[in-house]
Amino acid sequence: MGPTIKEMVTPLTFARSDDELIDALRSGHPGAAAVFYDRYATSVHRTLQSVLGRDAEIPDLLQDVFIRAIDRIGELQHLDQVRSWLTTIAVFAARAHIRRQARRKWLFLFSPDQTKQRHLEPPSSDARRALRETYRTLDTLPANERIAFVLRFIEGMTLPEAAAAAGVSLATLKRRLSRAEKKFVARVRERPLLEQWLQEGTRWTLEKQS
Amino acid sequence: MDSREAELSRVVGSKIREALDAEAAAGDEIRLGRMRFIDRVTTRQVSHAFERPRAWTVTFRRLSFGMVGAAAAVAAVFVWLRLPISFQIDSDAGPAAIAGNAGDLIEANAVVPTALRFSEGSSIVLERGGQLRVLALESNGARVLVEKGAADVAIAHRHGPGKWRFEAGPVTVDVTGTRFRVDWSPESRSFGIELKEGSVIVGGECLPTPRRVQRGDNLRVSCGTPATSTTAAKMDVAAPAPVAETKPARVVAHRDTHAADVGDWRELVAAGRYAEGVHAAERAGWSRVCRSANAVELLSLADAARLSGETSRAVEALLILRQRFPGTTSAATGAFSLGRLAFEKRGAYTEAARWFATYLDEQPRGPLMGDAVGRLMEARDRAGDHTAARRDAERYLQRFPEGPYAGTARVILAD
Repeated sequence: MGPTIKEMVTPLTFARSDDELIDALRSGHPGAAAVFYDRYATSVHRTLQSVLGRDAEIPDLLQDVFIRAIDRIGELQHLDQVRSWLTTIAVFAARAHIRRQARRKWLFLFSPDQTKQRHLEPPSSDARRALRETYRTLDTLPANERIAFVLRFIEGMTLPEAAAAAGVSLATLKRRLSRAEKKFVARVRERPLLEQWLQEGTRWTLEKQS
Repeated sequence: MDSREAELSRVVGSKIREALDAEAAAGDEIRLGRMRFIDRVTTRQVSHAFERPRAWTVTFRRLSFGMVGAAAAVAAVFVWLRLPISFQIDSDAGPAAIAGNAGDLIEANAVVPTALRFSEGSSIVLERGGQLRVLALESNGARVLVEKGAADVAIAHRHGPGKWRFEAGPVTVDVTGTRFRVDWSPESRSFGIELKEGSVIVGGECLPTPRRVQRGDNLRVSCGTPATSTTAAKMDVAAPAPVAETKPARVVAHRDTHAADVGDWRELVAAGRYAEGVHAAERAGWSRVCRSANAVELLSLADAARLSGETSRAVEALLILRQRFPGTTSAATGAFSLGRLAFEKRGAYTEAARWFATYLDEQPRGPLMGDAVGRLMEARDRAGDHTAARRDAERYLQRFPEGPYAGTARVILAD
């Protein structure tokens, strides 16, 4: 079988380094936007997915993050920080999305179409069910606490990295983390499936209970 | 990090991360996001154009609704006229046309040509083995770099003069509305252009002065090696011309107004000159050609018509193919192509589903089976037959869990 059309289209190869790519973006070089997306989309997608879980609007948020980034490309001071800069934009986009969703749920409280979980795929395994439960638990946290929790524990960032990505001071991040952790643990106990899944390999949640 | 925090990070974080990574939709989401992002990047001039009038509307808020409406209509027309054109890449090598991006290298493989269709009606058919890039898109044209090989070009003449420029090595071709064939060999640094309609201006460092090339002209320019530049290059003129030895490039020009008329449609189609092949078949009598050609030739002719935008001709050739050669593999392939035309060109999803089902009935293990099931599922879903679409989705995933329609199938099953 021959190559597909996508395989026949090769992204522009003018930019080998981030410096060249950012210069090309700033000067409006044709094709630079596509290269920029291709280079960082996986990383941004990962951040959005970590904060939101499975969400049908991730493709829209993904493009939104890159549009915002291009609009603010002049603000990027240090070229070696493109990835963390994009992570910050992604976190802000995700937070706005969480708040929008919360308002929507409130406004359409009695409309099942508006409030149903918008996962693309039905649960087909324990891990997937547990993942859904995890994000239902995270849904109960305030957006800022949820983001702190996700950046620190799911994305595995250091405290300074997580604070930078969330756009807050280290002290604020620590306060949010502490609150998020307590609430998360308390709510996990109300979800037996999730608790069992998380307990595999550790006694951490039970020790917390005792 | 204290031990409790480390445990939380290790257990919750790693488990959730692992489960998220196991989700199959990441690639689909990234591709979908890319498509929307590129669409927004190419059309964002529109939103910027709207931002400026927004301040104006404050000033004119007290004007009558009629005047505001008229101003908005004028602004919309203005913006529409300034919208950069877009293009799609179409080839038999893939399941469907995809949106093209400025700057990407587009390659036609050794088996099938690739067509680029622009939103204002222009088209470029890149021949087998050719490579080109659309460098920039504007409201009334584009800048195209032919890196290698030959391309058949048809520039639409709409909304006033267009602004198209083709570049091939050091040679430039400035175009308004016209049809021509251009080729460039980077190895021999040889450039050629054959005008079928209209005229163009050919310039660049290989030619001493820009030169107008008109309908019927066939210009060939040899630019020498890049290192020798213009001073070392030589120029010969086949026909008597005032340029002889003093000119730094080799230019051979001759007029052949009957080339297209005498060309056999089979040869033209085989050479990838689709639009010409279709016109030659029309001149020879389309119905007569369709009734004398064999099954393989009919498929080629239909493909040529499809790639050059002659949808109704393609449908006609395929229906005659099915009528004349029933029960053959070619007839089944014809059914698949008819489904594709109904789906992509006319949005006739019920009809498309019928043709894809016909292909599967006639060739249940045929080479296009996977694509046919995927397209059947998509056509039925779009036609509103969700029950059948779900059945097709299950069938598809069972057979091709990682196939190109797997993402769509999962979405259909989740709805």
